[in-house]
Order: sequence, then structure tokens, then C-alpha cells
Amino acid sequence: MSGPNEDDNGKLVKFVSFWLCIKQLSSQLFGNLLNSIIADVASECHRIAKLGLDRNLEEEEEELKLSAEARASVADVAAETNGKYVMDIFGQTHPPVANDVFDCMNCGRSVAAGRFAPHLEKCMGKGRKARKATRNSTAN
Amino acid sequence: MSSTINHLHHHHRIDGQISPLTSSCPHLADFRSRNGAKPFRALQDCLRVKPPGGRAGIRREPSEVPRCAACGDSSPSRLYACVACAAVFCHAPSGGPSHASAHAASMPLGGHEIAVDVDRAELFCCACRDQIYDRDFDAAVVLSAIAVQSSGNPENMRKRRRVDYRPWSPDVRERLLMDNGSSVLDCEIDRPRGLRGLNNLGNTCFMNSVLQALLHTPPLRDYFLSDRHNRYYCQLKNAATTGRIGSGVGGGGKRNGGNGVKLCLACDVDAMFSAVFSGDRKPYSPAKFLYSWWQHASDLASYDQQDAHEFFISMLDGIHENVERDRGKPPSPGHGDCCIAHRVFSGILRSDVMCMACGFTSTTYDPCVDISLDLEPHQVTAHGKTSAKSHPSSNSEANGFSSTQIPTTSTLIGCLDRFTRPERLGSDQKFFCQQCQVSQESLKQMSIRKLPLVSCFHIKRFEHSHTRKMSRKVDRYLQFPFSLDMAPYLSSSILRSRFGNRVFSFEGDDGDDVAANEMSSEFELFAVVTHSGKLDAGHYVTYLRLSNQWYKCDDAWITRVNENVVRAAQGYMMFYVQKMLYYRASAQVCPS
Repeated sequence: MSGPNEDDNGKLVKFVSFWLCIKQLSSQLFGNLLNSIIADVASECHRIAKLGLDRNLEEEEEELKLSAEARASVADVAAETNGKYVMDIFGQTHPPVANDVFDCMNCGRSVAAGRFAPHLEKCMGKGRKARKATRNSTAN
Repeated sequence: MSSTINHLHHHHRIDGQISPLTSSCPHLADFRSRNGAKPFRALQDCLRVKPPGGRAGIRREPSEVPRCAACGDSSPSRLYACVACAAVFCHAPSGGPSHASAHAASMPLGGHEIAVDVDRAELFCCACRDQIYDRDFDAAVVLSAIAVQSSGNPENMRKRRRVDYRPWSPDVRERLLMDNGSSVLDCEIDRPRGLRGLNNLGNTCFMNSVLQALLHTPPLRDYFLSDRHNRYYCQLKNAATTGRIGSGVGGGGKRNGGNGVKLCLACDVDAMFSAVFSGDRKPYSPAKFLYSWWQHASDLASYDQQDAHEFFISMLDGIHENVERDRGKPPSPGHGDCCIAHRVFSGILRSDVMCMACGFTSTTYDPCVDISLDLEPHQVTAHGKTSAKSHPSSNSEANGFSSTQIPTTSTLIGCLDRFTRPERLGSDQKFFCQQCQVSQESLKQMSIRKLPLVSCFHIKRFEHSHTRKMSRKVDRYLQFPFSLDMAPYLSSSILRSRFGNRVFSFEGDDGDDVAANEMSSEFELFAVVTHSGKLDAGHYVTYLRLSNQWYKCDDAWITRVNENVVRAAQGYMMFYVQKMLYYRASAQVCPS
């Protein structure tokens, strides 16, 4: 064959071999970069391992495993919050609102334990309600 | 059960000590003996770190490309410069022959076995064909890096004198005093001392839960049970003082508890310890304590449900404020000289801000009584907005939608990792760099300079914004370990990893705290405060670990629970105590 086809063929061959060369080079470049990164990581890990600086991952994983097992086995987490009618470890039961009685150290009155905080709030003049009450009274 | 995990770890750690390793490479030992006292001093000038905070490597011109002297190749991932003659060789690229090893072998008199990785500044033995480590070399690398960076010793650090350990046991007279002045508590194995319910006085479970944790905080418990704050004596002393100076002095209404008695929260705590450890098992009503606390923290004094963590801080503050000031020098912050509350809970946080332009690092130290941690911001709410504040460094999450979320369990370790990771301060938060004399973008990193005896971790589950309506609670489960090693979060560890894990004593002569830290970085969980329910209508419960058995303290109700219940609980505040209290002089360890 001769003429224009030969030239075209020649150009085509040149182009393809150029293109293959680029591919090869870019592939090599990528390979070099990848090798370099791998060597970076290997070097850092080698140092950490040799100097005994690694965190005890076994322990941490063990704890994670125990937690996962615990969550699976604790069937009803909401059951925790029922606590008001159970017997405690000393064999005692208690009413939902504590009914121990003692004297208020601010005013001296007898108060039930479970109602001590709201009493003390008024007694000491603290809290929003108490402040509102005093405002009303001074307005008069 | 869970204690068996720890023994393995404790004996495994070499912790950066490389003396056993230098002897493992005979060629390095040989090199050192041939080259005098500072074998790597000359190398220090050949090293450079670029960019600031980056990795060390051998200095070279921008246009200079290192090549293997044998094959001319510049592409291998590892090129080594011989320390003896500075010739560069490649090592086994793609598994091929090692020109570096050939070079070492080619020298009949030896001495060319040690080389330096050109890009990574790591020592390599061409004969042993392995990376090796040397303390003096690492020091040279670090010094070449920090020549630019150091900001000197911050002013607010004072060198502490360590108290020597002296073992003690009572003599005959002391023993007699102890026997006469105290009574032995009967102790049944399944009903431990000090376990006593606390009556709810009206929405006070927030207070009860924290009190239970503190009543069983070992150093705090030991302090009060050893009569270190005697309430009778304290009140007598206070009455005498007030009498001398005149009534009404020292804050007026705040100091006088209604009947001329000086307000002292520590006295009320002492009374509570006595009552709770008395052996009486009927639930105790902390009424007097509540009364005293409301006088101290008047803005928190109301019948509403409060935040347990806020109460915790307020209570420690109350104990601190009302304790008699020590005569002499002012207490140094963070070391707990001032009161038992700080002695037990106070630690020191270190904050480093590094200029990203020049590498200059500014360091500050701040005391803290606990560590508040954010939960990871990975949940997406119904409105498509991300929960929690967005980190400057996060990318897709900040825009409100993240399609690549992998739902993993949040862990306490994960929160601590995030707490101590380097955080880029955005362009709107530029920091003034002393070296550049301009505001530059910076990198901030937190670490723990000094660990407290007891670490309290507070999980920020309550998000409040300006309007109360926008407050919400984050119910997400957080895994927390029963045994926790805080070593990775210490300043020494963080600094070391910042400089490529080089073996170097970064904290210099402030070594006291550092040595103490390294010996006592292992912590054990002993109390968990949990919150269940909604933001405004919730309930606090505390789990306590006594004699390796877990108990649930729900106001007046004390019950025994399996450790699985605790592991699965929604932790709000977790209390860890140092496993061993270490005394440097004797190197004896005693369990806490």
C-alpha cells in the first residue's frame, strides 16, 4: 500500500504508541505514589509497635464487645424505672413519697421529707412562686 | 470478671523506652561506639520539617531529586542516605535487590550499615534490613523541628516539690486513741458499708444521684471518714472567729445559717458521711445539706428539677469556698492545695494553638474539675438539621445533610479522641501569632497535663439554646469502659505524636507531673449517674460499684444489679478513680 493511507497508518501508530506510553507512565506514577504512601504508614506503625506506643486495642475491643452483649441481654431497659414498689437489698419497702418527719431548720415547723423542698422554697423565700408572692404583697 | 483484662495491658507496655532496643541492632551499637558522644549531631542541620507541624525529612533544594547512586532511579518509595558517606541508595523497590544493603556489604571495614530514610528521617540498618530507633537521633529530629516552635515555659506553671512517701502504722498510743475514739462498723459482705438510700425531698433526685457518687468516691470518703474535717471543731472555730470580729461579718446573711452558725458545706458533708456510714439502713434525708446548699447557690435554689452536673460543680465550689484559707502562699490552681474537693477532682488541661504559617505554638494551662464531652454530631433530626454544634473541621455534616453516615456506636474513648484531636480554627477565628505578628489561621489541640485522682466525665446530653423551647436531650447510647487508660490523652503522649512519636522528653523539667501521670493513668469506673426520660420530666439514678458488685441507687431504693444493666445504661456522668495511688519514692503500689 502506498499514498495517503500509509501516512494515516503511520500517524495512527505514532499516536497509539504515544498514548500507551502516557498510560504506562501515569500507571507507574500512581504506583510510585501508592508505594510511597504504603511505606509512610508502614514506617509509622513500625515505630509505634517497636516502641510500645500502641494503644491496647484488645482491651478496648473487649469492652465494646461486653457492652454490645450487655445491651442485647438487658431486654427491657424501661423496666429499670419502675422502682417504687420493690423491696431494697435490706428488705425494706418505701412509700413513693418519703414520709419521714423532721423539723425545718429555717422555721422550726414539722415537715414530711418528701415535701421538704417545696416547703423550704417558700420558707426561705426562694423560687419563682415565692418571689411572685412577695412582689404582689409589696405592690400593695 | 472485667478486672482480668487489665493485667495483660499493664505489663505489656514498654511506653517509649528504647534502651532494650538499641542493643538489638549490633550495627547501631557499633556505629555509636565509632562515632563518639553525639553521633547524630551533624545530622541535625540536615533535617527540616515542612510544612509547620509536618513530617521531618532530609533537607534538599526544591529542584534537587535524590537518586540511587547505583541504579540512578529516583522513583523507589524508600531512598536511604548512608550516615557515614552521605551516598544515597534505594532499598528493594518492588521486591528487587537492595543497593543500600549492597553498599553496606561492600565496605570491608564496615561502618556504612546505618542509613537515614531521605523522606521520613528514620534510621535504617542496611545489614539487618530493618528500621531502627535511637534516642539521640530522635532528639536531633525533634530539636530541628522545635527550633521554630517553642514558646518557652508558660508563666502559670509552678514547679512542684514532690512529697516523699513515708510508710506509717500506728504506735501503741495512737492505736489506743483510734480504738477509743471510733467504733468498728459491722460489715456484711453483701451489704457493704455506706450503702444507704437517700430520700427524695421533692424533685431532688438530681442531688441524690450526685451525692451517692460522692459518698463513694474513695479519696473523698476516706478524707471525711478519717475525720479530716471535723464538723464540731469547725463550728466551734467559726463561732470563735465570728465572735472576735463581730457578728454579721463575712457576707451577712449568706454566712449565717439562720441561727448564728457559720455556713460550711463541708460540715454538712461530714454529717452526711457519718450518717450514711453509721450502719443505719433507713433512708437518709439530706435536708440540712439542701438547706445549706441553697444558701450557697441561691440562684439554683428552687423546687424545680435541676441539672445534676450543674449541682456537682456548685457543690464542689461550695466546699471550696467555705473551707478555711490556708495560711501562707496562695494555692496554685489545679493542684488541689486549696480544699479536698479540688484535691480529689482537679486536673490541669493544656491547650496548644499552633500558627499554620510559621509553626509557632502558644501554650496555656487551665485547671478543671471535670471534662465535658460532646457526643458525635452524626444524627440528623426530622427537620434535616444536624444535632449539636457543627465542628469547623467537619465538611458534609455542616451543610445539614450527610448521605455517607455509617451508624456506629458512640464511645467514651471516641469522645476523648475527638476532645484531644487537632482542630482547625477557621478563618473567622484567627489567632494572633506572636512570631508572625499577624492573626493567622491556627490549629488547636487539647491534652491533659495532670490527671486528677478522680476523673468525672460529663456527657453533654442537654442542649439549651436561647429560648427554652429549643432545648432538647440527646438520648443516644454512649459506650463507656469499666477500665480506662488515660495515657493517650496526656500532654506527653499528644506532644509525642505531634512530633512523629519520637522518643524525646517533651515536658522537660516539669517532669514531676509527667512521671506521676505515667504511673497512674489507669482508671477504674466506680459510679455512673444516668438520666432517663425527657428534658424537663426525667429521673436521675446512680449505679455504684462496691466490692466488685453493682448497686442501683434510685433515691431511697437500693437494689443489686448485674453489671450488664450498667453497661447498657445511658450514662450522663461517669466517675473513674485512679487504680493505683503511686508513691514515687518507694515504688510501692497500694490499691485504692
